[in-house]
Amino acid sequence: MTKKKLLLNIFGPILSVVVLLGLWQAIVVWGNVAPYIAPKPWDAIRAVTSNWSTLAPLTWWTIKETIYGYLVGAFLGAFLGVVLNKIPLMQRVLYPLLILTQAIPIIALAPPLVMILGFGVMPKVVIVAWIVFFPVTVSVLDGLNHVDKDLMTLAKVFGANSMRRFLVLEMPAAITQLFSGLKIGATYAVTGAIIGELAASSGSSLALYQRSASGSLDAAGVYGTTLLMTAIGIIWFLLVVGAEYLATPWQRRSTARQWRRGAKPVLTNN
Amino acid sequence: MKRNFLSISVAGAVMALSSITVLSASTLASASTLTAVKFVYDFPGPDMEIIPVVVAEKEGFFKANGLNVSVEFPPSTSTTTQLLTTGSGDIGFITTSDMAVAVEAKAPVISVANYSMTNNWGLFAKPGSTLTLAGLKGKKIFSWGDTWTNAMIPFVLKKAHLKASDITIVTGSNDTPLLMKGTIDFTTSTTNYAIPGITEATKSAPVGIVGAAAGVPNVPVWVYAVTHNYANQHGKNVRGFLKAIKAATIWASQHKAKAVADFMAAYPKSGYSKFYSTKGWALTVPLLTNAAGKYFVQTNKQWTTLATALKSVNLIKSVPAPSTYYTNKFLP
Amino acid sequence: MSSSSILELRGISKTFASTTALSPLDLDIERGSFVSIVGPSGCGKSTLFNILSGLIQPDNGSISLEDQNVIGATGHVGYMLQKDLLVPWRTVLGNITLGARLKGKVGPEDKEQAMGFAQKYGLGEFLHHYPSALSGGMRQRVALMRTLATNHQLLLLDEPFGALDAQTRFEMQQWLLQVWRDTQRTVLFITHDVDEAVFLSDRVLVMSPRPGRVVDDLRVDLPRPRTLDTLVSPAFTDLKSRVLHQLHRERGA
Repeated sequence: MTKKKLLLNIFGPILSVVVLLGLWQAIVVWGNVAPYIAPKPWDAIRAVTSNWSTLAPLTWWTIKETIYGYLVGAFLGAFLGVVLNKIPLMQRVLYPLLILTQAIPIIALAPPLVMILGFGVMPKVVIVAWIVFFPVTVSVLDGLNHVDKDLMTLAKVFGANSMRRFLVLEMPAAITQLFSGLKIGATYAVTGAIIGELAASSGSSLALYQRSASGSLDAAGVYGTTLLMTAIGIIWFLLVVGAEYLATPWQRRSTARQWRRGAKPVLTNN
Repeated sequence: MKRNFLSISVAGAVMALSSITVLSASTLASASTLTAVKFVYDFPGPDMEIIPVVVAEKEGFFKANGLNVSVEFPPSTSTTTQLLTTGSGDIGFITTSDMAVAVEAKAPVISVANYSMTNNWGLFAKPGSTLTLAGLKGKKIFSWGDTWTNAMIPFVLKKAHLKASDITIVTGSNDTPLLMKGTIDFTTSTTNYAIPGITEATKSAPVGIVGAAAGVPNVPVWVYAVTHNYANQHGKNVRGFLKAIKAATIWASQHKAKAVADFMAAYPKSGYSKFYSTKGWALTVPLLTNAAGKYFVQTNKQWTTLATALKSVNLIKSVPAPSTYYTNKFLP
Repeated sequence: MSSSSILELRGISKTFASTTALSPLDLDIERGSFVSIVGPSGCGKSTLFNILSGLIQPDNGSISLEDQNVIGATGHVGYMLQKDLLVPWRTVLGNITLGARLKGKVGPEDKEQAMGFAQKYGLGEFLHHYPSALSGGMRQRVALMRTLATNHQLLLLDEPFGALDAQTRFEMQQWLLQVWRDTQRTVLFITHDVDEAVFLSDRVLVMSPRPGRVVDDLRVDLPRPRTLDTLVSPAFTDLKSRVLHQLHRERGA
């Protein structure tokens, strides 16, 4: 990537965020918005930093719920995608059921899950996994369904059995699609954790902290925790994008990096 | 205190819509003669504490005072104050702790009348359990996640000489099933809700530690509140409202069965049984008058006690003059 | 099997539904020879390749490849198509060694062999490049090296240069001949281009459809190495003319 493009990619988003914050500040100041309705951006940020000792462990819990749930959902989703591709009967039977799971509003799902799973981490993990698995399943299924048929024929001629064909050709071929699904799941994962926390928490949680702030008319606290939750989502998304960069070098580079090339065999003279 | 808020919030939304439609229909008939007032409850769904408002509507007390009152329910707990300050509601039903934090946040709301007079909040457990302050250590206690519960718990801990880390607070939307299952050891509520609820589920009265025994300040729990703007511009409505409510409350106290019937007719899908509402209303009536038998009257002492107490557990930072919290000038 | 035949087909036939894709076919292919197959669609050439590669089974007949019966068995021939089918996430080195990877692991000998091919045939600089960075001609070269790397004697090439422009195609034809000379493999080559068939081969088989069968079998005795001069020589033109007439006669019939 050229230097100019790199600068644009990094500074572009930062600039838009700064502009948004400026707009926010302008609206609050010129619109004479009361502090118990909406804070200035700096007050919202300060509400987070000055209460960091309370918020840090809560944030850490939310992050854990998000990551655990995401990983469970991602693996489950990928597994289902493979099963649906390999067993056409399963595709007919399961696919409509999977769509049904997504038709259920997550907010309505939370209370029954809490009754079954209690007030700890589990219901949140299940909710996050519930949200994440579906886009991953759809994208993996799509990727596997669109592997080049001629390539698979060639592999058969090469004498590769179906397991080898799957591991060496089909799985890597589906990686690009897989990451599409993973990215979509990443943007929604935090929402699931927060919904779970609202439905039931043992002890305190980020969602409850915000609810308390709301009840206390602490608008700076409310907006601040919203920013915090958003930050968790953004950072997780960027991590997934980073993983995609590492996993799919051929989409951006013309040569493999040194560390990918493996041990160099000694070339005998021919 | 009250139960089932998530499912009731849905029921409440439906009811809010239907009650607005019903009342708008009657408004069309007599729009020119009655003044519209939006009353906002403190909880997403209706329960027996709203009986004075229901009776005032059904038995014509509002109409007699020239008012057409529509009832709305907030989307979740502790949001009623916001509905007032944003103009979505005219007269609100909130807890005194909501009032205290509103004043702290410089929100322009003021309390115009007490609903109840004493603090009947406390911890409750299944009948036959042992409930002592010392025995709280290591237990799981239910919270509704609202400001009142958040405000009261530190007092309980203080009296029991416990730290916050000595107990586990489980926050949810419905306490009775969890109490029955044993997922929580104790729930937090007021007597007029806890006793009907647990009695209905177990056929026996719960054990409880209430009020001073629980270490909480003896202040009223609920009040009626309005914004300063509304008080200044529509004082007449406030006065009329309170007059109607007083008449309705007296009537409902003397005709308890009919009052409960009115409530169940107005909100058939409230989720509360006749048993619960009857017992609950019977327990509520004595709470509504002070030692002198008067309704509504607020005192400097109650607000100073509350503010000082909240400051002592770091829920508010300063104790303003009690007149910043209330006025009695609209009382009938 | 005669000492010089690497491949013997006896009575190979295949019918799909009501179409006879291949009527009983007898064929002997000499070790190390370059044999082209020309014919219109439906003449059975693709079916023949599918049978030889083990992808489908013939209805009747026997096949002997290096004294082995390979009916229905894959993994005995090298195979290359018009689409280079290079795997985008593997480098040039990774693609050339794909055969080994599909059979198990890529050992150091596989890597050495791959590097040897690349170095020898001008792609040594590109070993760690991804296919997207290569031109069409380079990609087909990699595809051929991948086919060679499987170390099968018999190579089936199905119109490998069909997608290339005329200039690149000529270069690739020259290169293919060089590689064939170096590695001494046996090549079966399907093409629509009669010039290409005559230019490259020792022998041209003309096939015809309905039913699929061989209608002519020409020896191409032109001297090697074949050059541009070969292309315009009278002997070449005669052979070309014969093939063309065969094709047109069959089309008219």
